[in-house]
Amino acid sequence: MPENKKSNSRTWYRLDLSAIVYPTLQRRDFSSVYRLSVLLKEKIDPDVLQKAVDIALKRFPTYKVAMRKGLFWRYLEPNDRSGPFVRPDVRNFCMPMPFKGNHRYLIRVYYYDRRISLEAHHSLGDGTGGMALLQTITATYLRLLGHTITNQYFVLDVNEEPDPEELEDAYMRYANAQVRPERPAEKTYRIKGTRESSHTFNVIDGIISVQETMAVAKKYHATITEYLNAVLLYSLLQKQEHDFHLRLRPVRIAMPVNLRRFFPSKTLRNFITMVYPSIDPRLGEYTFEEIVTQVHNFMRYYINEKFLRGDITTNAATKRNPFIRIVPLFIKDFVVRLFYTRVQDRNSSAGLTNMGAIKVPEDMKPYIERFDIYMGMPFSQRTNCAIISYEDTLTINFASCIIEADVERRFFRKLVEDGIHVTIESNRNFEEE
Amino acid sequence: MSYCVNCGVKLEDSLERCPLCNTPVINPNEITHTRSVPPFPKEKGQVEVVKRKDLAILLSVSLTTTSLVCALLNLLVFSGSLWSLYVIGACLLIWVLTFPAVVYIKMPIYISLLCDGLAIALYQYMISFNTASHDWFFGLALPITALFTAAAILFAFLYRKVSSSFLMTGLYFFLELAMVCVGLELLIEHYFQDPGHLTWSAIVLAICTVIVILLVTILSRSRLRNAVRRRLHF
Repeated sequence: MPENKKSNSRTWYRLDLSAIVYPTLQRRDFSSVYRLSVLLKEKIDPDVLQKAVDIALKRFPTYKVAMRKGLFWRYLEPNDRSGPFVRPDVRNFCMPMPFKGNHRYLIRVYYYDRRISLEAHHSLGDGTGGMALLQTITATYLRLLGHTITNQYFVLDVNEEPDPEELEDAYMRYANAQVRPERPAEKTYRIKGTRESSHTFNVIDGIISVQETMAVAKKYHATITEYLNAVLLYSLLQKQEHDFHLRLRPVRIAMPVNLRRFFPSKTLRNFITMVYPSIDPRLGEYTFEEIVTQVHNFMRYYINEKFLRGDITTNAATKRNPFIRIVPLFIKDFVVRLFYTRVQDRNSSAGLTNMGAIKVPEDMKPYIERFDIYMGMPFSQRTNCAIISYEDTLTINFASCIIEADVERRFFRKLVEDGIHVTIESNRNFEEE
Repeated sequence: MSYCVNCGVKLEDSLERCPLCNTPVINPNEITHTRSVPPFPKEKGQVEVVKRKDLAILLSVSLTTTSLVCALLNLLVFSGSLWSLYVIGACLLIWVLTFPAVVYIKMPIYISLLCDGLAIALYQYMISFNTASHDWFFGLALPITALFTAAAILFAFLYRKVSSSFLMTGLYFFLELAMVCVGLELLIEHYFQDPGHLTWSAIVLAICTVIVILLVTILSRSRLRNAVRRRLHF
């Protein structure tokens, strides 16, 4: 044990390339926290779940960490404090996560009825890493209840030592293009809404059938992601047109792309980059079919290994620049925050992420009903949309901190118009109104 | 399970209104349907308050050391006057002022304000050891400190328990400003044994009265109040 402790005290992890930004944006009322949930078929036993978390978390050293500040960069340090403890779920989830609270853990595990939810700070990893942790916890939980679950896909072997590749910053390995393509940034349409009181988190979930959606998307000659992207663009365009506006602005969606699809890596940390499908209504009125075509072509053109390599090289350039590296952290924080609020945040009108179809080991399937994913509290007044599918259930989770639900309404009404059956769930509370 | 008549989406059992368009759900066939477990819990979570333990230790240690070192210097080296009382008093004052922020975060505001007032009075008392007499302390400094502390506690009470809108806050501020100024002048006159009339504080009182009447008028007319709030929101 002492040797273990000693080696632990020597281990620390640099923040990966995209993780650098998230702690900088930390405010009293905002943290970059996302949530992944799994809905099982039986009620959750919190004691067993706690045991499962304790067992599974040992396999994920980069999730059992605390955030520390250095002179030039923040870093992650192994966290040996007790916890993280499972707790009953709350209505306003994805709450801010102070680095020094929760025994310094940057993850939270909640249970409610049949659902296990994992919330993680984005600086630890992206949805793929979080999904591996959630599924490993779920598999361990089910095993403790006496079921047999094989280790496959996202379920990792808890008795195995972590592969060094799982802990790597994969960006730096692949950021080797010889040119750094510039990224044009312009002001885009912003939703004007009434801000909710702080720590209120409005969620509207739409549950639809994968088969039905696939059939509709095929009618437009698009994939499900392209189709749903187009629907979101369409709703935002409609909202802009119907609301009061002095001039039209382009509508753009920030969509993270999982880079593991293009650059082989087992990393459980962040390995995503953003692409921005957009429609410029100043060019003329787009029909829905035109929007779908535009999105379809955009995806085909930009999402390939070459363009993405260029993109991550541009990202990595700032981290590699020796002058930037020696600037003290507080100045970096100030500049990054300024850049983010002035440029990056205004560069998109909404966020949309698609985790895709989640693979689950065959023997775990009977116990799982569906998955949910929430992109977390938006940084500014807007709506974030996250999509995940399992078997034939496709879940669309909208998260926002404004009172109006115009975008969501237009989005789901368009789906209904196209003949998709939508079931709605929400945590909105109308009694207070 | 019902559908929203407006949006055409199927609504989960526990929803009483459509979350998309706010239309109430009325299903004539299912007035007394059994409720399943709602998809989200009712309880709201609170963000954890962070304890600033390291800062508290650092602050306490550095302040204590400063006080001790100065006391020793005063005793052994520069023993001409009781100058170290200034430093010790200041350290104590800083510690008391920062106590609710770094050590005991849940301390009620009224008690912390009272402690702040007491600490300031104590500092003044320590200073009075270096002056010719204690008279100024008992005659002037202590009553004035008590007056300001009482005003601060009253302000906090009104702000938290009555209303915290900025118009009401303005009302408390100007009311208390007038009261404090009048009290201050009376105390000063009493100390110099010159029980005369209000002079400068009468001007403050007059101005504050005008402002207070203005604010009361605005507050009592809801249309006016809303117009002012709209124009001055920040």
